[in-house]
Amino acid sequence: MSYTLEDLFRLVQKPGRYTGGEMNSVVKDKEKVNIRFAFCFPDLYEVGMSHLGMKILYGLYNEVPDIWCERVFMPDTDMEELMRQNGIKLFGLESRDSIDTFDFIGFTMQYELSYTAALNMLDLAGLPLRSLERDSSHPIVIAGGPCVSNPEPIADFFDLFVLGEGEEVSLELFELYRRHKAAGFDRDKFLTEAAKIEGVYVPSLYEISYKDDGTIASVTPVNGAPAKVRKRIIEDLDRVYYPDRFVVPFIDIVHDRGMSEIFRGCVRGCRFCQAGFIYRPVREKSPEVIDAQSRALCENTGYEEFSLSSLSTSDYSQLETLLPRLLDWAEKQKTNISLPSLRVDGFSEELAARLNILRRSGLTFAPEAGTQRLRDAINKNLTEDEILSTARKAFSAGWTSVKLYFMSGLPTETMEDIEGIANLSQKIVDSFYKNPDKPKGKGVNVSVSVSCFVPKPFTPFQWEPQDTMEMLQEKQKHLRDSVKTKKISLKWHDAATSFLEGVFARGDRRLCAVLEEAFKRGCKRDAWGEHFNLQTWIDVMNDLGVDPAFYANRRREYDEILPWDHLDFGVSKKFLIRENQLAHQSRTTPNCRQSCSGCGAAVWKKGVCVE
Amino acid sequence: MKEIRIRFKKIGRAKYISHLDLTRTMIRAVRRAGIPVWYTEGFNRHPYVTFAAPLSLGFEGLNECMDTRLVEDMPMEEMVTRLNSVLPEGIEVIKASDPVMKPGDIAFAQYRLSFLKGKFKGIEGNIREFLARDSILVEKKTKKGDSKKIDLMPLLEKAAIETGDSAVMLEVTLPCSSTETVNPGLISAALNDFLTEKYGGENTLFCDITRRDLLNAEGLPFE
Ligand code: SF4
Repeated sequence: MSYTLEDLFRLVQKPGRYTGGEMNSVVKDKEKVNIRFAFCFPDLYEVGMSHLGMKILYGLYNEVPDIWCERVFMPDTDMEELMRQNGIKLFGLESRDSIDTFDFIGFTMQYELSYTAALNMLDLAGLPLRSLERDSSHPIVIAGGPCVSNPEPIADFFDLFVLGEGEEVSLELFELYRRHKAAGFDRDKFLTEAAKIEGVYVPSLYEISYKDDGTIASVTPVNGAPAKVRKRIIEDLDRVYYPDRFVVPFIDIVHDRGMSEIFRGCVRGCRFCQAGFIYRPVREKSPEVIDAQSRALCENTGYEEFSLSSLSTSDYSQLETLLPRLLDWAEKQKTNISLPSLRVDGFSEELAARLNILRRSGLTFAPEAGTQRLRDAINKNLTEDEILSTARKAFSAGWTSVKLYFMSGLPTETMEDIEGIANLSQKIVDSFYKNPDKPKGKGVNVSVSVSCFVPKPFTPFQWEPQDTMEMLQEKQKHLRDSVKTKKISLKWHDAATSFLEGVFARGDRRLCAVLEEAFKRGCKRDAWGEHFNLQTWIDVMNDLGVDPAFYANRRREYDEILPWDHLDFGVSKKFLIRENQLAHQSRTTPNCRQSCSGCGAAVWKKGVCVE
Repeated sequence: MKEIRIRFKKIGRAKYISHLDLTRTMIRAVRRAGIPVWYTEGFNRHPYVTFAAPLSLGFEGLNECMDTRLVEDMPMEEMVTRLNSVLPEGIEVIKASDPVMKPGDIAFAQYRLSFLKGKFKGIEGNIREFLARDSILVEKKTKKGDSKKIDLMPLLEKAAIETGDSAVMLEVTLPCSSTETVNPGLISAALNDFLTEKYGGENTLFCDITRRDLLNAEGLPFE
C-alpha cells in the first residue's frame, strides 16, 4: 500500500513541520506566476524558521507579483524514510508541489556541517547532485549565506552563488532570468550572463589547477567571467525592504518571536570572528525606521516578544534614543523586548528598570580567552575588571549565576591561557563570596562553556593551523585539572565536529567528491549531534586519498593562493596580514569608531567608514 | 470583566495543530485582532484563553470552544469579524457569545469517522461485520499512565453508518468529560486490528475524524 503526502502527516512526529498554512505564509495562483522559487534551509523547520535572513528574502520575493517563493526544510528521519518509501519528492510547504519543477532552488548556507543536508535535499527533490549533470530542464540551484565566502567545497553542486547581501542582486538575477526564459531558456547562456552581475559567482566558469604540494597553482576565469567577484552590500538600510510580517509558526521553534534588524556589520574586528569581517562596513538603521518596522511586525504577527538583531546590539550608536521609543508602545501592548548580550552597566537607572534588565534570564559574558594577553591577540576588547565589576553589581542585585563563553585552540594559545579560564572563573566565584550584599543563604554557579576555535576565510586567522583533536583534548584535560571548585561547571564542545568544520571551512574543490561520497554512505545530518559520525568521514577521506590535516591543521604562507582568493568581501589581504602579525605580537587594533584601520571596506564609501 | 465564549471550526490544514500549539496560535490571533482581552499576571503576561475540551492532533472540529475574558466591551459580531481576518487557513470563528453552561457540563462529544471507499475494497461490509461482533475490547490508557481494557461495543450500539459517494461514515457519541473520555481513534485502531486479523498483512486504514459538537449530560448541545 502506498501513502499520499496527506497520509504521511498522520504518521510522522510533529506534522506541523510539513503542513504549511501558517499565518502570513504566502499562497499564490501558480498559473499566474512566472518564477517559482524554493527557499531551502538545510536543517529542521524549527531551526530554519528562526533564521532572519530567510524571512527577509521570503517577504521580498513574494512582494514581486510574478514570483512565488516557498519554504523548504530538511525533513526529520521519520518523514524522510516515508517520503522515500512512497516516492514523494521534496515539496514546497505552501503549494505542496515537488520543487524539481520550480525555476530556482536557493539554499542558505549557515554552517559547514549542513552541506550534506543540502545534498540530501537535492536528492530528495529527485535532482542530480552535480551542476554538470543537470540541464536546462532542471531548476537553477543557487546558494548564499556566510559559508559562500568560501563555497569551493560545494562548488560542483551549485550553479551559482550569491555573495554578500542578497536583496538587490537576487532581483537583478530574476530579471535576467525572465529575459532568458522568454527567449527560450538555455542554462549555459544564462549562467554566463549571470556571472556578469556583481555579486554572482558561477563556479563552473573558473578553472583551478594545483601544484605538486597540493596547494593551488592558478584560478582561471573562462567565458568572460570576472577575475574577482565582489560581494554585494545594501548601501542604505533605511531604504531596503524589511518584512512587516513574519510567517508565524504553529509549532514551537528555536526563536519564536519578532526580530528587528538594527544594523549590519560589526565595528569590533575580533580576529577569530568571520562575521566581523565579511559583513563590513557597519551600516545602521535609524531609530525612526527601526521603531516603525518593529511596531508593524508585532501588530501583524501578534508576537508577545521581539528582539533587536545585530552582531553586537550594545554597539548600536543610538540605543539610548531607540529603546525608550520602543518601550513607549511595547509596554502598552504588553510586548517584551529581548536584548541579547547587552552590558548590564551603561544604561541609565530608569531605562534599566523599564527594560527589566536585572530580571532577564541570565548574566552572560564572552571573554573568549582566559588571559589578557590572549584576549589582546584575538582583539577581544573585554577586560577582567569590566567582567568583575559587572558581576559584582549583578550579585548585589540578587543574581547567583553567571555564564562564561570561551574558545580553545586560539592561535598563540598556551596552557597558561587555559589556566586563565579557570582563574577568571575562580575570581568571579571569590567576588561573590566577598560581596557584602550577596544574596543571603545562596551559593554561586559559574558555568563555563568552551568551544573549539575553527579558523575561517577572510579573517586574520585564515592562515593559521587549527589545533588537532588531540591537542584540544589535552587542553580540555588541563582545564578540568585547573578547576578547583564545584561552583564552576564546565561544558566542552565536541572537538570532532569542529575538526570537520575546519576541513570544510578552508577547503577547496577537491572536497566536493568527499561530500558526495560521505552523503552516499549515509552522512546527512552532521549538524544534529546524534547523527554525526566522524569515522565515516575519516574512512571516506582515506579511500579518496584526501588528507584532512592539509585543510585543517596546516599553516599557510601569506603568499599561498587560497581557495577563496578570487572572491572579494571588501577586506584586503594586506589588512588581514597586518592583523595576523599584530595578533602574534598580542597587539590590539582599535574599533572602526575609534579610528579606521584601512581594512578595505571603505570602497563602498558607506556606513561607519564615512561617518 | 466579562466572560466570552468563542466557537470555532478547526479543519483542513489546521487539523494538524496540536492543542498546545493551538493555544499559542489563538493567543497571537487575539493580539493581532486587537481584542481587549484580560492578560494573565506575572512576568510572562499573555492573553487569557482556555479550551473546554482539547481536540486531538489530526482531528477536525466543527464547533470547538474557547473561553476568554474581556476588559472592555466589544460587540460580538465585531469580535468575530476581527478574529476571522487574522486567523490562519482552517480556523474560523463561527460565533462569540455569553457562556450559558459551565465547561464542566460537557459530558459527551459527537464524532464522525469517515473511511474513504477507494482505500480499501469492501470497506462498508467490513465495518458492518466489525460492528456485529459481541464485544470490541481495546486497551485504553488511563490518566495514571497505565492501561486498562475496555469494551467499545456498548458505546457503538447507537452508532449510525452512512454511505456517501466516496466514503463510509460512522457517527458516534462518546464520553468526553473530565472524569471519562473515550478517544474515537480507538475505534479506527480496533477496526484496523480487525482487518489485519481477517486479511493478514499490514492494513493502515486511515480515517478522517471530525468532532461535530460537544454535548452536556442530557445530550443537549453545549452552549
Ligand atoms: S575601512 Fe575603516 S572604518 Fe571602514 S570597515 Fe574598514 S576599518 Fe572599519
